[in-house]
Amino acid sequence: MKIFRFLTPLLLTIVAVFCFAPAAWAFCGFYVAKADTKLYNKASQVVIARNGDRTVLTMANDFQGEVKDFAIVVPVPTVLQKDQVRVALPNIIERLDAFSAPRLVEYFDPDPCTPLPLFSRGIPQTALNLNIGAAQVQRSDRDLGVTVEASFNVDEYDIVILSAKESGGLETWLTQNGYKIPQGAKQLLQPYIRSSMKFFVAKVNLDKFEQSGYQLLRPLQISYQSPKFMLPIRLGMINAKTEQDLIVYILSPQGEAQLTNYRTVKIPSNVNLPVFIKNEFGEFYKSLFQTAYTKEGKRVGFLEYAWDMGSCDPCAADPLTQEELKEAGVFWLNDNSLSKQTKVTPIRKFAPPAFNSNVFISRLHVRYTRDTFPEDLMFLSTANRELFQGRYILQYPFEGDLKCEAGKEYKRSLPKRFEQEAQTLARLTNGNIQDIRKKMKLSVGNLTYSWLENVQSWFGLD
Amino acid sequence: MLFKDIRDYQISFLGLFLVVGISTRDWTLRPDLIGVLIATSLVTQWILSWVTGKEQMPNLRSALITSLGLSLLLRADDWTTMVIAATSAIASKFLFQFHNKHFFNPANFGIISALILTSDAWVSPGQWGEEWWYALLFVGTGGMVVQRIGRWDTTAAFLGSYSLLEAIRNLWLGWTWDVFWHRLMSGSLLLFALFMITDPRSIPNSRIGRVIWAVCIAGLTFILRNYFFVPTAVFWALFIVAPLSVLIDFLWLAPRFSWQRGNEGDGGAEGAGGELLLSTPNS
Repeated sequence: MKIFRFLTPLLLTIVAVFCFAPAAWAFCGFYVAKADTKLYNKASQVVIARNGDRTVLTMANDFQGEVKDFAIVVPVPTVLQKDQVRVALPNIIERLDAFSAPRLVEYFDPDPCTPLPLFSRGIPQTALNLNIGAAQVQRSDRDLGVTVEASFNVDEYDIVILSAKESGGLETWLTQNGYKIPQGAKQLLQPYIRSSMKFFVAKVNLDKFEQSGYQLLRPLQISYQSPKFMLPIRLGMINAKTEQDLIVYILSPQGEAQLTNYRTVKIPSNVNLPVFIKNEFGEFYKSLFQTAYTKEGKRVGFLEYAWDMGSCDPCAADPLTQEELKEAGVFWLNDNSLSKQTKVTPIRKFAPPAFNSNVFISRLHVRYTRDTFPEDLMFLSTANRELFQGRYILQYPFEGDLKCEAGKEYKRSLPKRFEQEAQTLARLTNGNIQDIRKKMKLSVGNLTYSWLENVQSWFGLD
Repeated sequence: MLFKDIRDYQISFLGLFLVVGISTRDWTLRPDLIGVLIATSLVTQWILSWVTGKEQMPNLRSALITSLGLSLLLRADDWTTMVIAATSAIASKFLFQFHNKHFFNPANFGIISALILTSDAWVSPGQWGEEWWYALLFVGTGGMVVQRIGRWDTTAAFLGSYSLLEAIRNLWLGWTWDVFWHRLMSGSLLLFALFMITDPRSIPNSRIGRVIWAVCIAGLTFILRNYFFVPTAVFWALFIVAPLSVLIDFLWLAPRFSWQRGNEGDGGAEGAGGELLLSTPNS
C-alpha cells in the first residue's frame, strides 16, 4: 500500500509534465515588440462593451486637422440624454490597443550539449513570473422634418441628438447649422432614418477645448440599450476612395465576438520567423495583414486577439486594471447578477470551472472599402472562450562551442530550420524568397556552412 | 445497395461540406465535438428505437444526417452541450409525433435546445462567407437531393418569398442593390434552404401545404432578423412554424413521404424516384 501511496503522486507528476509541458512550450516566450495601430495611417478605433442589450460605445478621434472643423454624425439606435454621453480618458484606447496588439516573442535555444531537465526546458522563468503576475490581476426644424431630441454639452463637445423624417431635411438642417456635409450624404442618411435610427451629432466647443488644455480630441463614449449589436460604417465611406482600417475592441462577459454578416478569420499566427524580423516587425505585420487580406478576397474581418482580460501570455502590455476597464465602458464588473449571464444548467455541474475575469476581449481588424463591405457591421457575442493571439516567434540558435555529438546534430539541423523560417516569411508576406535568404545570411552568417564543413561533419572531423 | 437511398447522397454531401469547411474555412470546428455529436446521435437513435420497438432496423442514416447537420451549424465550448443537442434532436423525433410523423426538424430542434438550455452554444451565420463557388456547390449538391425527393417547391417558396421581402425592404430603405445581394448571398442561408427545410419527413406532405409553410418561415425569418435583430432568425422561424405542419397536413391531405419509395408523396409531379436526375432546378 505504501508503494501505491508513493507512486500515485509520482505518476500524476509524470502525467502532468508530459501533458502540460508541451503546452507551456507552445506558449509564453519573451515579449519583444508589438504591431499596434500606429502602423496604419488612418485607423479608426472603436471600443464596444456589451452585456445583454446594453452597449457602451467609445469612439477614438483620429481627426487630423483644425479642431474647429471637427464634427461627427453617428447613427445611433436610441435617443441619448446627457447622462448617456461622456468623454473618456484619451489613453484608454491606447491601453487596449497595446494590450491586444499582435506581438513578437523570442526564444533562445539552450546549449544542446547540456540538456536541461525535461520539465524546465523551454519555459522561460520570466514567462512563468508573468503568468503569476497576470493571475493576480483581474423650428424651421419642423418644416425640415428634423426634431432635436436632445441638445447638451459634455466637456469640450457640443452634442445634439436628431431624429429626422427624410434625408433631404436632415441634410439641410446640418448645413444650416454649420456642419459641412459631404456630397452624397443624402442617399446614405435615408436608410438610417427609415430604420428609425437617431443621429448623434458632435462638434467641438472651442472655448471649452482651450480651457481644457488638451492637445488632442478625447474619445466620446455613449451608452444605450438596444438589441442592435452593430456598427454603422457606411457613412464613413462617403468620401473615402481608399481602403480604411478599423479596429474594433469588443468587451463581453461571455467570450469571443464575431461578425454575423461577414466572415471572421483568424490572422495567421504562431509561426517561426527569421530573426532579422526583430528590427522590422511593424513592416512585417503590415505586409502579413495585406497578404492575408488579399488572399481572403478582401471581404472578411480578421480576429487579431481573443483573450480573457484577466491575463496575457506573453504580455504586450499589462492587463487593464478594474478602473481602466470601467473607463473602457465595462459596466458589469460589480454586477452580482452576472451569474445570470454565465448561467449554468443543472446538467452542466461537472463542467470545469474556468478562471475568468468576466471580461473577454476580441480585437477585430476590418479593412474595408465601399465595394467590399456594402453593409454595416453586425456582431454576435459567442460563448467561445478559446484564447487566440497574433503571435510571431523568433528562435535564436545557440551560439557557442558545440563539441558533443548532440551539438553536431543540432548544428546540422539548423539550415533546414532557417530555410523553413524563410519560406514561412515569404508565404505570409508574399515576399521574395531570395531576398529573404540573402538577408538571413547577413544576420546568421556564421551558422551557414560551406560544403567542406558539411563533409567534415559527416565524417566526424570537426 | 449504397446510394440507392437518397439519404446516402445527403450523408456524403454534408460530409463533403464539413471537409471543405474545415480545410478552407478556419472555423472553430473541433473534431472531438463532431465525434461526440455523431456518437450521441447514433446511440440515442438506437436506444430509443429499441425502447419504443417501432422499428426493427434502427434508422441510423437519419441519425447520421442529423448529427452532420448539427456539426455544420452548431458551435459550443463544451462537449456536454453537444450531448444535449444531439440527444434532444433525436429524442424530438420520438416525442413530438402526430399520426406517426414527427414535425420538428431534428437538427433544428437540437440547435434550439442547445441555445435555450445551455449558455455556451452559438451559431455563426457569417461562417460561410459569400463566395459564389460555395453558392454553386450548395445549389448543385442540394439541388441533386431536393430534385430526387421532389421538394424544390419548398426551397423555391422559401428563397423566393424571403428575397422578395428583403428586396422590398431594401427598396424602401434606399440601400443600393449590393446590400441586398450581400444579405442573400450567405452560404448559411442557402444551406438552410436546401438541406434543412426540405427534410421530407417533417415538412407538410402536400405541395400547397409546403409552399404555405415555407412562406410562413420566410416571413417569420424576415421579421426576426430585421425587427428583433436575432442573428439566428432562420432556426427560430423554423422551430416556431414546424408544429404548423400538423395543421397543414390536416387541411391538405396527401400521401406521406417514404425514403425507400422516393418521391411518391409529391403527388406524381416529378420524374421517377429511383434514378439520379442531374437536371436543372425546376418542378
